Amino acid sequence: MTNHWIDIQNSDCILIMGSNAAENHPVSFRYVTEAQRRGATLISVDPRFTRTSSRADIYAPIRSGTDIAFLGGLIKYILDNKRYHKTYVANYTNAAFIVNKNFGFKDGLFAGYDPKKRAYDKSKWAFETDSRGVPKTDRSLKHGRCVFQLLKKHYKRYDLKTVSKITGTPEDLLKKIYAVYSATGRPDKAATIMYAMGWTQHTTGVQNIRAMAMIQLLLGNMGVAGGGVNALRGESNVQGSTDHCLLWHIWPGYLKTPRASNDSLKAYNRKWTPVSKDPLSANWWQNYPKYSVSLLKSFFGAKATAANQFGYHWLPKVDDGKAYSWLDLFDAMYVGKIKGLFAWGQNPACSGANAGKNRKAMANLDWMVNVNIFDNETGSFWKGPGMDPSFIKTEVFMLPAAVSVEKEGSITNSGRWMQWRYQGPRPLGDSRPDGDIIMALGERLKKVYARGGVFPGPILNLKWDYLTDGRYDPHKVAREINGYFLRDVTVKGKVFKKGTLVPSFAYLQADGSTSSGNWLYCNSYTEKGNMAARRSTKDAANGIGLYPQFAWCWPVNRRIIYNRASVDLQGKPWNPKRWVIRFDGKAQNGKYVSKKWVGDVPDGGWYPMQNPDGSMRKDSRYPFIMRKHGHGQIFGPGRADGPFPEHYEPLESPVKKNPLNKQLTNPTAAVYHRDIDRFASGDARFPIVCTTYRVTEHWQTGLMTRTQPWLMELQPQVFVEMSPQLAKSLGIENGQRVKVASVRGALEATAVVTRRFQPFRVAGKTIHQVGLPWHFGWRWPESGSEESANLLTPSAGDPNTRIPETKAFMVNIEKI
Amino acid sequence: MRVNRRQFLQLGGAAAIGVSVCRLGFDLKPVKAHAQMLKTKYAKETSTICCYCAVGCGAIVHTSRAGDGRVMNVEGDPDHVINRGNLCSKGAAIKQLAENEKRLTRPLYRAPYSKQWKEVSWDWALETIAKRVKATRDATFAHRNGKGQVVNRTTAIASVGSAALDNEECWIYQALMRALGLVYIEHQARI
Amino acid sequence: MAKAFFIDTSLCMACRGCQVACKQWHDLPAEETTNRGSYQNPPDLSFDTYKVVRMTEVVEGGRLRWLFFPEQCRHCLEAPCLEAAGDPGAIYRDDATGAIIYTAETRQLDADAIIEACPYNVPRKAPDGTLAKCDFCIDRVHNGLEPACVKTCPAGAMHFGDRDFILAMAGKRLAEVKKNYPEAGLIDADEVSVIYLVLYAPARYYQNAMAGLRRPAAMTRKVALQRMVSPLRRMMNALGG
Repeated sequence: MTNHWIDIQNSDCILIMGSNAAENHPVSFRYVTEAQRRGATLISVDPRFTRTSSRADIYAPIRSGTDIAFLGGLIKYILDNKRYHKTYVANYTNAAFIVNKNFGFKDGLFAGYDPKKRAYDKSKWAFETDSRGVPKTDRSLKHGRCVFQLLKKHYKRYDLKTVSKITGTPEDLLKKIYAVYSATGRPDKAATIMYAMGWTQHTTGVQNIRAMAMIQLLLGNMGVAGGGVNALRGESNVQGSTDHCLLWHIWPGYLKTPRASNDSLKAYNRKWTPVSKDPLSANWWQNYPKYSVSLLKSFFGAKATAANQFGYHWLPKVDDGKAYSWLDLFDAMYVGKIKGLFAWGQNPACSGANAGKNRKAMANLDWMVNVNIFDNETGSFWKGPGMDPSFIKTEVFMLPAAVSVEKEGSITNSGRWMQWRYQGPRPLGDSRPDGDIIMALGERLKKVYARGGVFPGPILNLKWDYLTDGRYDPHKVAREINGYFLRDVTVKGKVFKKGTLVPSFAYLQADGSTSSGNWLYCNSYTEKGNMAARRSTKDAANGIGLYPQFAWCWPVNRRIIYNRASVDLQGKPWNPKRWVIRFDGKAQNGKYVSKKWVGDVPDGGWYPMQNPDGSMRKDSRYPFIMRKHGHGQIFGPGRADGPFPEHYEPLESPVKKNPLNKQLTNPTAAVYHRDIDRFASGDARFPIVCTTYRVTEHWQTGLMTRTQPWLMELQPQVFVEMSPQLAKSLGIENGQRVKVASVRGALEATAVVTRRFQPFRVAGKTIHQVGLPWHFGWRWPESGSEESANLLTPSAGDPNTRIPETKAFMVNIEKI
Repeated sequence: MRVNRRQFLQLGGAAAIGVSVCRLGFDLKPVKAHAQMLKTKYAKETSTICCYCAVGCGAIVHTSRAGDGRVMNVEGDPDHVINRGNLCSKGAAIKQLAENEKRLTRPLYRAPYSKQWKEVSWDWALETIAKRVKATRDATFAHRNGKGQVVNRTTAIASVGSAALDNEECWIYQALMRALGLVYIEHQARI
Repeated sequence: MAKAFFIDTSLCMACRGCQVACKQWHDLPAEETTNRGSYQNPPDLSFDTYKVVRMTEVVEGGRLRWLFFPEQCRHCLEAPCLEAAGDPGAIYRDDATGAIIYTAETRQLDADAIIEACPYNVPRKAPDGTLAKCDFCIDRVHNGLEPACVKTCPAGAMHFGDRDFILAMAGKRLAEVKKNYPEAGLIDADEVSVIYLVLYAPARYYQNAMAGLRRPAAMTRKVALQRMVSPLRRMMNALGG
């Protein structure tokens, strides 16, 4: 989330699309309700009428996988009706940037497409630059090749009629929603988006979110209270585990995993440190080497020296141009290239798309370490449905972990708040906190490698001193993550003693004199104490619910990021009633002469862009400091599938033609081609659109809820929701067990026949959609009758993230 | 750690309740005594953050000081600024996650081609895992890729998980996996 | 001052935190259920389930509505069950709060008669005849805590407090929602301690949302009989009133 949960109360219009917050983030509705009480409009857009829809002022149905068409229509509406926030768009976004002459868009393809590689040459999308290398701009937004004009041209095709034909959303509802949402283009109004996996799990996932981010930029809704782009993350610490980068492509703090071509630390830092020639661009990532070197110092401590490139080559490199993502991982396992697997607090036998492929793949492993609080379908895969243990050689170690209330440490919520939690009871039986298991495993590995082995350096030199009295000590790790001064250092005129904690990432160094396990968390555990454990309920001066001394949030406790876009060029809030920050420096003769911001921690404390007399300041910075050019990106030249979002059908779709362009599906989608990666688009055997979702009463693969009688009482079985019309045509009665099948797999489910699903009119045809929760699996309940909906879902993904398309695919339903 | 429990109500008249009834010959004392005793009165209180979705709701855990030292009650933390004491059905059920007979309480091992689990000791499990990791890693470790570039990795071991870990656990976990040379490191955020 | 609940069904989103919080606080076992083509489960109140969120799909004003009604004992001001029992060792009113409390002694009563007496069909019996229902979280309330269901509700649908305060709150909220929902009302507000706000006719929610929907609220013959043989009960009422 760019903003945070409480801030939803400040919104004038809340769009819940691609998520189902009332069901999956119920407590968020404290703040949705508060906003509604103040007069905000709640809009729910979902293929099915949900518990969220039940609370909405406006509900609109949408066929799964057509969000870009829906949002593209909104972009067109904003432009046609001049609802955009002009000053914001011209000054804070890249709408004014001029794109080079080679850029184009034709037949659904952007310039530079290579059909053999299924990829683009993105240099064709570059900005035109001046002699210094700074992008050329036309702040009047009139230049024919400026982003704003290209945007207009691109979305000209997204008229109401065409959008309705694709999405199945009635035109009058589209118009109503567009009008209400775009009314927040006024400087003193804000709209927010609450989205989740309903947007990410598509072959166009990143562009779904890009489209919304563009809308928020056009309306001036980024950085303001009650605005932002808010991903509702689904797991209590999936934000933290992402920040610490349990992901193949990034290192803690969103640093890059080195490519093989980055053959030295110097080459690595050079490659990933962006350079801006614009003196007004903060280009925050110019600090990259400070963060990467400090991270290496945390990895290897004193063993990381300038002479050995701080241990850079002790860490693995990935091949350039190759992905090692979830889908790739299980693809490699499926063909026997992976021999050992740690499944630590995760249940891929149920959670992965095309779960049948994952389950088969596991049988190729020599060994698996499964760490969990319950036995699950992953650890016990060898005795699952269709498996014969006597043919499966995999050794499995199943280690019992403690539950969260039995241990101490921090987790980071969706609003980036790091919060400390404490131990209640001791771990049950012989179960152990994950931290103790990891420490013990590390110690064993160090011991075996001390006796020799291949390339033992990184293991033996890994800094591993996080025990106190023989037990894992989360405080020691939290301090390591924050970082230390490793010798007496003078930074910005201040002297810091060796061994003290670094007060914030602004003090990190690239010379090995500081450590920090994650620069983004530098400021979380300082000489002032454990910031995450703070409990003050006092609000900030602006009274908008920031609670700055309750817990801690990254970066540097800034509760609303991009907040310098919430003020005008002179530092005055666009919305004086619900302001986030405000410039409070002194002015003399029309010029600011002292620097002071009040409210939230500003996104950089520079002077405002302009003096009170309207003259531009040279010592200011553009507000979007993490972007190389300092501007919000309406044009996104870094994405794999184009700088503007374009509607493509899901890989499996009920339609044979895309009314907007000649490409039916995303030409760059990540697709896999083993025998088991089957797809059935426009196939009469699978005529029904299907999606998956979660329900309030269960969570993820259900391992932490299917095992709980109180929750099983509420939602005991897999169900498939369908319209009365579809049920009637199939002869299915409410409550009857049916078989749901895709080309990849099948499962039994109870039919929930409900008016909350209605057939769609798509391009003159009636199209039915159904949906089912993915919380189940054969291990629990012990009857084995309830299986994972991911047996149905396709192993294909977004070209940028490779997140699988589990939200739109084709199935058939039969009576049993 | 100190937790402030907000007193929501003030009930002045509790002491006087029984009087009129007793005068009539009914003794409700046992019933009322029961009604007035809070089961969590002598429990240890700790604060936690809900382990389900990422709203980050605060909860109070009441742990028995006597007997088995287990969880007696978990309810919303009224002093938490996000949820102000509220919890959804999952959050309200956290006690049953901790106090659950289906939980794993001993390390288990499944041998090749076996049809069953066997209880093993932590020592044996960790020792054996370290041996397996070393064997696979050492047999597959690549110092250079096909182009001759330094890669220092193994692509034969993978890790999935875990958004279920605390931040500090995530950090040491990724450090250990990367030190081993793994590049297939993925978790919930990808799917 | 007597206490009351205000349950604003217009805000309920059926997260069912209340249902679980109730079971959690009271250490009630889960029931074995199946999906019967609805999210609602358990299908009904039971000896082990004091609170059930009822779910109904209706079309009102051309608009699909999914109506949620967190059902529980209403703790009637003049409770027919209490009158039917005539035994304050089994069913009594806690005068400090207005809670109607069932004790283990209810197993001595004619359970069916008590259930029959309830205008909302709330009490449920165990195999041995003991009756159970919402107990107002009387232990919590006497210790300054809100009832478990009220405390947990993230939708802002449930409130608890002094009766005057709750009535004022309910009245104010009703006036607000009346603007858009002319049929909205408070159910039996003058007769119960658990006051529901509904947007549509109570019968749209479920058959026992309001007294007298299922059958006349009048007492059964058994109740009348019981009253005759229970002079002490009458005296108590007179004194307690």
